[in-house]
Amino acid sequence: MIEVEALTKRYGSTTAVDGLTFTAPPGTVTGFLGPNGAGKSTTMRVVVGLERPTSGTATIHGRRYADLPAPLHAVGVMLDARSVHPGRTAYKHLLAMAQTHGISKARVREVIAQTGLEPAAHRRAGTFSLGMGQRLGIAGALLGDPATLILDEPVNGLDPDGVLWVRRLVRDLAAEGRTVLLSSHLMHELALCADRVVIIGRGRLLADAPVKEIVERSERAGTVRVRTPDPEPLTRELVASGAQVTPQEGGVLHVRGASVDDVGTAARRCGATVLELGTESGSLEEAYLQLTGDAVEYRAADARGGAR
Amino acid sequence: MSAATATPHGARATTARPGPAFGRVVAAEGTKLLSLRSPWWAAAVTVVVAGVITYLSAEASSVDPGFEPLDSLSTGLALAHLGPLVLGVLVGAGEFRTGASRTTFTLVPRRWPVLAAQVLVTAAFALGTAVLATAASVLGILPSAASRGITVDLTSDDTPGLVLGMVLFLVALALFGLALGALLRRTVPALVTGLLVVVILPVVLTTAGDPLVSGADPASTGLAGPPTTVLGTLAVLSPGGAAQLMTTSASAGPMSGTPDLGPVGGGLVFAAWVLVVLVAAAVRLRARDVR
Amino acid sequence: MTTVLPESRAPQRASRGAPRRTGPTLWRVLAAERTKLTSVRANTWLVLGTVVAAAGTAYGLGMFVRPDDGRSGSWVVTSGFVLAQLGFLVLGALVGTAEHTTGTARTTFTAVPRRLPVLGAQALVAATTALVTAVLALGASYVATAVAPLADAPALDLSVPGASRALLGFALASVAVTLLGLGLGALLRRPAAALVTGVVLAIVSDQLLAANPSRFTDTVRSLLPSAGARLTQDDAALAALDAATRGPQLGVWGGGVVVGAWVLVVLAAAAYRLRRHDVR
Repeated sequence: MIEVEALTKRYGSTTAVDGLTFTAPPGTVTGFLGPNGAGKSTTMRVVVGLERPTSGTATIHGRRYADLPAPLHAVGVMLDARSVHPGRTAYKHLLAMAQTHGISKARVREVIAQTGLEPAAHRRAGTFSLGMGQRLGIAGALLGDPATLILDEPVNGLDPDGVLWVRRLVRDLAAEGRTVLLSSHLMHELALCADRVVIIGRGRLLADAPVKEIVERSERAGTVRVRTPDPEPLTRELVASGAQVTPQEGGVLHVRGASVDDVGTAARRCGATVLELGTESGSLEEAYLQLTGDAVEYRAADARGGAR
Repeated sequence: MSAATATPHGARATTARPGPAFGRVVAAEGTKLLSLRSPWWAAAVTVVVAGVITYLSAEASSVDPGFEPLDSLSTGLALAHLGPLVLGVLVGAGEFRTGASRTTFTLVPRRWPVLAAQVLVTAAFALGTAVLATAASVLGILPSAASRGITVDLTSDDTPGLVLGMVLFLVALALFGLALGALLRRTVPALVTGLLVVVILPVVLTTAGDPLVSGADPASTGLAGPPTTVLGTLAVLSPGGAAQLMTTSASAGPMSGTPDLGPVGGGLVFAAWVLVVLVAAAVRLRARDVR
Repeated sequence: MTTVLPESRAPQRASRGAPRRTGPTLWRVLAAERTKLTSVRANTWLVLGTVVAAAGTAYGLGMFVRPDDGRSGSWVVTSGFVLAQLGFLVLGALVGTAEHTTGTARTTFTAVPRRLPVLGAQALVAATTALVTAVLALGASYVATAVAPLADAPALDLSVPGASRALLGFALASVAVTLLGLGLGALLRRPAAALVTGVVLAIVSDQLLAANPSRFTDTVRSLLPSAGARLTQDDAALAALDAATRGPQLGVWGGGVVVGAWVLVVLAAAAYRLRRHDVR
């Protein structure tokens, strides 16, 4: 359980996170979304105590991260795959992490096997590909068998095989009753593996709801799509019955304010031939773009907001 | 459709668009250098340290009966010269350390123009820094000279040569650092090598040549030196020792036990060192892969 | 590539908060820091390089010692310190900055969010490594100067007053320089800045001030970390140093006290920054 309450983080005059409140409940995968520079990484860093909030609180199981008696066992963190000394092997990196909590070498080998790192375990991390680095980061997060996982862009740079693996992994972790907070830019991926999403823009909360609910907010959701060689009579008929019709290319009409049944009946009434009829489904991507449309701010000039 | 757009893309790219001409590479390297914060810091620290240390040193010596302000002129550089050295190392190694080399050398696949451009740009930036640092040194001796009623004349005797030597000394150190950085490609090894050769080796050689117990007052060490010793020769031929000669007056004569190279000779020896390391860096750049 | 799914592990709820899942202790953090230091090959090369530099310098300087110039056998054996101290400084600076330059800090300080135990463990591990390196360097210097025929250099004679203390002092001064580098590295978080500051404090400033001997400059010299190099001198050499200075006479252990105070101040500043400031 991660609870963020009225969290604000400022760097000088720049506000990276602005009064953010959300909860990531146990047993679910919470997706964390936002444009570049929206404050996702900053929020995650504050949650794990690397940075201090300017005001507000972030707690895990009701405690500040720094007050956790055994942080690695409570929270598994992967903030940046490049959090490794390039001259150290994957095994030694994980071993040093494990030693801080008295975790056995057997467990280190276990997570290496679990993340598919065995062939590379004794290579220096500086020689790793992006995907291997990512697996090493995830291995570090799993090391303490934690009840909460915080993963920043875990599928970044993974091959399709690896993406599928991460998806299954986070689903399984949530099914075991753990809390998973996961940020990603890959909407399709999040739509597949997250139960709920928290969307932020310019450091503020834009939405915090189940994925399904967010998708339904998409403008396109609930629109009826009909393809017909006779658009004019059908449009007249539908408008007369109070629906809004937007003509598209290729004789396709988008109809709002009428159900599939209504459109079919209207077509029969006016004698229009129907070639295709169905409802458009919204997507997380569309809903996200609509929500963040005015919150997108590419802070190229702001060195502190981005990854350094 | 017009004839111009009908031209195949490949043909247009190869004929109409020039590639990375040297002037452009220089401009690009200039932008890279000036857009970082560290060169400006290094330059500022160099100038301030040169002025402050020279001032303190001149103040300390101004109580001596035979006080000659110009003798203190280059004392600040004994500390300030680390600034250009670090600056050069950061420019030379920065490209590789940050991974910017991947961008740079795909843009300029012949590679050596990049190194040449870095030499030019670093030399120019270091020259500006050196002129300011030397000016700060001159300012540093003025208060104590005024307090003793001595007028400072920069045009007399070999003072113009000394001033020129000080400027070139700082520029040459920046280029030495650049060459080490480009050769070793990593900041820490390049910096350690630079500090070792420029700062510590002269100390070791002085310690060895010191006829008294180590660390004793060096003012009294030059009393009974043999004409020219092996150590003295090594000292002036080492990069640090040769470079330091550039900040001495031509009329000062050799230190005990060292051959009399003078500031010009010292400058030439140090220039040779810089050139050797630069050539080694160029060879490595041509022959070895860029990560 | 094999992608093994998480296997059925011990029941999740039961294991959470169970007594075996304990957090970081100083001892555990120490083990982790030891693994970190020994698992980077550059550190091994650095230790070897420092030993070779010390022995090579001792041998080189030994060639120029004449019987009448007041240098003892211990002077020859410890004379490599002038060069070796750079190696110790680099060792400390690398341990102190590596977390921050490589991003390992994100991993380290999420595992040990109280942070200070990490700095303490790094200091202990770096000091131990420095001690081992110093002993190896002394051994190598002794062998190099004893086996090879050095024309006029006196052999190491522990009955010379202060000779054995000078050997111990070599190790202590090495540890002090390493900790100074570590503190500067942890404080400044950039290796170039830490190294240059360290070299200026431990070597250059002393040389600069020595060129301008006066009551004032000699007093400043005696208060700089470079005074730690006095630890490597025997009684006769210390007496000569004290006789030559116009500033305070530091005596036998004064130099060690000065450098020790510097180490404490710099480490305290580093600890303050680590506690109070964000980690990137």
